[in-house]
Order: sequence, then structure tokens, then C-alpha cells
Amino acid sequence: MTDFTNEKIDTTQLPRYEAVPLTALHPNYWKELLVARGLLVLVLTIALVSALIFIEEFIDYRWIAATGFIVFVVLLFLITNITYKKKAYAFRTHDVIFRSGIIATNTMVIPYNRVQHVALHEGWIARFFGLAKIEIFTAGGMSSDLEIPGIAKEEAENIKQLLMGKIQKQL
Amino acid sequence: MEVNFNQPQRQSAIGVLVIFLEMIFVLVKNIWPIIVITLLKAEDKSVWIGLLIALAIMVYFGVYSFLKYRNFTFYIDADNDEFVINDGIINKTKTAIQLHKIQQVNIKQNFIQRLIGVYAMDVDTAGSDQKEGNIKAISHTLALALKSKLLENEGKAVIDQAEAEVAQAVQTTAPFLKINLVSLLKIGFTSNYVKSIGLILTFFFTIYENLHQAGAEDLVDTDRIKGLVDGYSLLYTMLVFVLMMFTVIFVINVVRTLIKFFDYTVTKQKGSLMLTYGLISTQSTILKPEKVQIVKVSENYFQRKLNVLEIKIRQAISNEKKDSKSLIEIPGCNAAERDEILKLLFHELPQKGEMMLPNFRRLIFSVFLIIILPLTAYFTLGKFVSPEVLEYQTGAWIYALLMATLLFFGYRNYRLFVADKHIIKQSGAWDVDQEIIQIDKIQAITTSQLFWHKSLNIGSLTMHTAGGNITFHLGQFDQINEYVNRWLYEIETSNSNWM
Repeated sequence: MTDFTNEKIDTTQLPRYEAVPLTALHPNYWKELLVARGLLVLVLTIALVSALIFIEEFIDYRWIAATGFIVFVVLLFLITNITYKKKAYAFRTHDVIFRSGIIATNTMVIPYNRVQHVALHEGWIARFFGLAKIEIFTAGGMSSDLEIPGIAKEEAENIKQLLMGKIQKQL
Repeated sequence: MEVNFNQPQRQSAIGVLVIFLEMIFVLVKNIWPIIVITLLKAEDKSVWIGLLIALAIMVYFGVYSFLKYRNFTFYIDADNDEFVINDGIINKTKTAIQLHKIQQVNIKQNFIQRLIGVYAMDVDTAGSDQKEGNIKAISHTLALALKSKLLENEGKAVIDQAEAEVAQAVQTTAPFLKINLVSLLKIGFTSNYVKSIGLILTFFFTIYENLHQAGAEDLVDTDRIKGLVDGYSLLYTMLVFVLMMFTVIFVINVVRTLIKFFDYTVTKQKGSLMLTYGLISTQSTILKPEKVQIVKVSENYFQRKLNVLEIKIRQAISNEKKDSKSLIEIPGCNAAERDEILKLLFHELPQKGEMMLPNFRRLIFSVFLIIILPLTAYFTLGKFVSPEVLEYQTGAWIYALLMATLLFFGYRNYRLFVADKHIIKQSGAWDVDQEIIQIDKIQAITTSQLFWHKSLNIGSLTMHTAGGNITFHLGQFDQINEYVNRWLYEIETSNSNWM
């Protein structure tokens, strides 16, 4: 009984979530995104080129269309790159932090004792690069679920194991 | 039959057929008009092509269902006490659910499954909308065995029965709160204007549309109405119309409130609340304080003068009975009764703690979005495209004035109060809402900051609970971060039951 202390907490001394150094996503995730966007651009290019060649009315607009398309593609890759660079995560002792967003920087924090279950998702492109996505579900519905992409497969397995362990401790 | 669920299991082999038939069923449901048309109009040749396509689809579906079946496995990981499901052919997902997090296991059968004689099984945890685990084909004995294994370590299924018992035992106790006719009338007079206007408009439009279609315009003698309007001034007619409109709205509101909430009684029973109400059909709902996530207290100017207010309670969203039961309304209680109810729900009266105000940019931004943009569009249209719309300029100015007033009051009422255990968000222009949450009911926290707000040190905060989100925009960001750190500390050091 004498060991029991109940000091007032100094809230300014609490660990700060906003100051935690975050881990960037795996470099291969950028390659994964490149392939995914590349495939999309390929399909669009084929559609556009065939439209420009085979539909006579479009002949006058060839150059405008081509320029517009190139600008679109450049923008697409630029934005993809920024989203890739902006995403980062950290696993602390008691919670997981994930940051994302281009115009607005969104930082989401989920305490482990609020996690309902965890899933590991491997997309087919991601599998080529040995990556996986961790999905963390809480009881707060869609808006408070978390997806962290671009984590090396083995590491993702470890993280999943870690999370499951953390959830279990709460019993 | 003893089955070892610790080894990865496939579904019943016949499951291939279930997946296959379900796909065909969905496809046929979606494209049956096309099928019917081709069959009716078809020449020999197109029938053959159609058959070939159908065959190709069948083969594709067959292969797909087979692979889907092969790749779908589930097992109970005894070491970690979790239920694991592997799914997916090309994109693979491995879902792991802690056994003690499982809330419900449902065994059911749809038409196809009944034909084949297998069962489906859903595994459900709290919160998220989709079913986390869905096994499509499993024999009944196996399903029962798995269900009992899954629910073994916790008597989750018992809870529902307990709830039912409480419902029956309640009748005898004395009511804790009874809302009388006067309060209900007051509420009927002072709330839900917008909803009622909507109802009336739809009603009139439907009638008008019907008359129009029946060719019965003669019934409404337009000349006579014209004569009437000419006889008096336009303003007078408008006034009469508005007055009539309001009378109708009042009457509808009062009648609606009375029918819905007549004889609203709240009784206390073993720590939960039992609510019964309704004139024509009596509703009864059980409210468990620990399941309450968000409590919203609304009050407008008239209601404050009349000392009535409305309370809306959001409970943890639990699968099936999602919308009907998760929102509970208590209309027409007074301030003292509100405090009693809040004390019951939160075990103490939530205090308004430190106050946080929004940055003035919030007002400027909404003024820009709701007033300046539409007005600019309107005047540009009038000036360059069709000058005749400018005849309604007065309307535009009235709109601007009305919106400006609403936005100003909305901004002035927008506040966040943070106390030790509770957070209260106040918002609204006319109806002022106070949303109250308990800090330990927070599931996750998101902060958000636009990059040009970084140097201004303002940003937004969203608190996710199992009953919905609460967002506060453009507060002082340093302060928000400090709160977040404090709340995280509180959530992570205690192990409270949030539902």
C-alpha cells in the first residue's frame, strides 16, 4: 500500500505524437505506384490514339488533345509522387500513427486498445515488389479504419503479429 | 464429429457451386433485359454468338469460383487466440480477428444455399459496416461446431437474452421521467421547420403533378386566382401565403410530434433506461449507458424561452439493427430533466471545461463559399447571358442577408469545450447543438492541417467514436495537439469499457 502513488500528471511532459519521427514507406512502393499508374496511362493512351486516328472529326484537334494528355499524365505522376512522399507511419508502444494527404496533412492516431482486428492485403502488383498493406479496423466505422500500404511483406507480418499481441494484452 | 479447426480449412467442396451460382445469379439479375431482348429479336446468327459468349462467361466463372474456393481458407490460431481467414486469387487478403473481439456469429442460408443444402456463416465484430468474415458454404454441423468454438471463451450470445429479460421486467417500476403534453406541444411548435416545409412541398407538388396529368387544370381556376392577386397588392398576397404556410407547418409539426412521442416515459431498470412512446403504436427501446457514444442536446431561441429542449443519443453501431436503434430521441424535457438524464448516462454532469474558439477564417471561408460565389455567378449570368434573371435581384439580396445572418450566428456558436472527462462541441445557427462525448469512448483521433495554415497555427480535429465522428474545424493547432496527447495518454493508460 505504501508503494501506491498518485501524482498529478504534468500534461506538458506527455509524449508528443506530432514530434514522433515517422518511417517513410518502402521505396518499392513508389515502383508499385508507377506500374499501377503506368498501366492506367497505357490504357488511356491506346484509347486516345485510336480515337484520334480513326475518328475523322478529331483530326483537327490532334495536337491540342496530345498536349492536354501529356499535361494530364505529368500532373498525375507528380501528384502520385507527392502522395507517396507524404505518407509515413510509426508504431509506438501504445498506438499507431499514420500521416497522409497532399493539400491537407492528416495525421491519424489509433490506440492499440481500440483495435478490433487486423488484415494483411497483398495486391498483385505489390506482390511483385514484395510489399503488403496493413489494414487496421476499429469500432468507429469506415472513417476510423487505417490502411498502411507499401510495407515489406515480412515486416508487415511482424507488424501484424505485434498488433495482435498488443490487442491481446488488453484482456 | 470432431473437427480440428486449428488446421486451415476449406469450405465444403460444394461451395464451388455456391460461389458459381451466386455469380451467375448476380449477372443475370443485372443484365436480364439484354438477354430477353436478344432472345426476342434474335436471328440465328446472333443467338449463336450469344450462346458462345454465355459459354465463355460460364467457363470464366467456373474457373474463378474454383480458384476462389481453393484460395479461401479459415482456421483458429490457438497460439494467438485468433480466427484467421485467407481470401483472394490475385489480390490476397489475410484477416485476423481476435476471438474475444467477436461479437456475433450468424449462421444463415439464402436461396441458393438452401437448394444445395449448405449454410453461410458471418463473423462480426463491433463497428465497421462490412462483415469481417464471411464463409459461403459450410455444413450445418460444422457451422455449429465452429460457432461454439468461436464463442467459447465468452458468453457473448447471452447478452441479447439478458436484454430481452430486462425489457419484460421493466413494467413494474415507477417512471423516472414522463414528458407531458405541454412539453410535446412546445416541441412541436418550435422544431423541425425545414423538415415540415420539405414535406409540404413534396405533398403539393405530388398533388399538382397528379392534377396536371389527369388534365384537370380547369379545377384550379387560374383566372380567379389572377383576379384575386390583382385585387390586393402583391405584398399582401405574399403575406397571406406565408402565414398560411406557417400555420400548416405548425399543425403538421404538432400532430407529428404528438403521434410519434405521445406518452413518452423513461423508466430506470438495473442501470439501463427503458423508453416507451407513441400514440398509435407504442415503441419501446432499451438504452444502456455504457453503449452511449454521443449525446446531442439541441435548443433554439424559442425553446430556450419555453424551457424545453431535445436530446438525441447515439449508441454504438452494432450491425443488424443499425439505424433504427442506434439513434434515440428524447423530445421536450426541461433543463433539470436534461441534467438528470445526463447524470444517468455519464455518471456525472458533463462540465464545460476550457473553451476553444474557431479562427475567423472559418467565417470568411463559409461566407465566400455560400454567399460570394453564388452571387458572383448570378450577376455574371445576368450581365452577360440572360439579363432577365436580374429581375429577381431582391430575392438574391434577401438570400445573401439571410445566409450572412445564419453564418454569423453559426460562427459565433461554434465552440469546443474540453473538460477532464468530456468533450462538448457546440454548433448551429438557429438550433444550437451541443454534442457531448466521453474521452474514453474515442476510438481514434485525426488531426488535419492545410499546408498554408501551418504558419498560422490553425487546424482541424476529428474524434472518431463507435457512434459517429465529431469534427472541430480551424482551432488553434498547438492546443489541439496538446489535447490529443492528453487524450491518448488517458485512453492508453486506462482500460475502460467503451461499449
